Amino acid sequence: MGREVSESCVDSLLTEIVSTYNNRFYANKPELAARRIEAIGYQVGHQLSERYTMERPRFSDHLEAIKFICKDFWSELFKKQIDNLKTNHRGTFVLQDNRFRWLSRISTDPSVENTESQDPSAAAESKASLATMHVYFPCGIIRGALSNLGIPCAVSADISNLPACKELLLSYSVLSFYDI
Amino acid sequence: MIACVAVVGHQNNPLYIQSFTEADDALKLHHIVHCSLDVVDERVNNPKKSGPTLNETFLGLLYPTENYKVYGYLTNTKVKFILVTTDLDVRDADVRNVSVTISFKC
Repeated sequence: MGREVSESCVDSLLTEIVSTYNNRFYANKPELAARRIEAIGYQVGHQLSERYTMERPRFSDHLEAIKFICKDFWSELFKKQIDNLKTNHRGTFVLQDNRFRWLSRISTDPSVENTESQDPSAAAESKASLATMHVYFPCGIIRGALSNLGIPCAVSADISNLPACKELLLSYSVLSFYDI
Repeated sequence: MIACVAVVGHQNNPLYIQSFTEADDALKLHHIVHCSLDVVDERVNNPKKSGPTLNETFLGLLYPTENYKVYGYLTNTKVKFILVTTDLDVRDADVRNVSVTISFKC
């Protein structure tokens, strides 16, 4: 387990995945590209969770598994822990990272903003759509990791303030328990 | 002497079974592994609250049969490693080390 890869290679690979799936494979079908990228992330998360939980004692409940994701899993992947974890105790968790490593290099391109100043909403929208594509892969990773630990769930991300990223986890198993 | 090693996935699907005996009793070993899966489920669902083994990955001796002893190891992702051994005086710590080594090498 000692082989390492430089971080810039991983960054280049991720940006290239997003651009290839969007521009070449599924050129005018962003939903299909997004789903494919999320599926790739699911596989990666599945295998990573297997590797990172090897020597640990088993988790007693869902909250322990989510805490593992927030602390150990996140620090293995992104070298830091989740900054804030919120739950509604009914199966929904919000993980907030104030400086998401894979999005921290996305440029906001101020030159574009100057020329299109009469249409600021359009500029903001295009920024958001570019960044949303990049966020499907980490959502897939989290979904894969959790489903391997026995918690099927849906993960979505909210990137309204760009270096910060909030993932919303809906855990289907717990929701069904409360929906009697 | 380890007679058989089995890796079983989280839906109790066999992923890898290898028997190390020359005799032609592979089927009997498969049956023993299959029976031990029930014991693993029982151990997980009814934990012995008195012991400190609630979240242990190594489950210890599952059950002894006439010639064999069966040990189990359960990972966080519900993958089970079953070891069937013919030694009569094997120590728990040795089997624990073997299980951990197998899981690391996978």
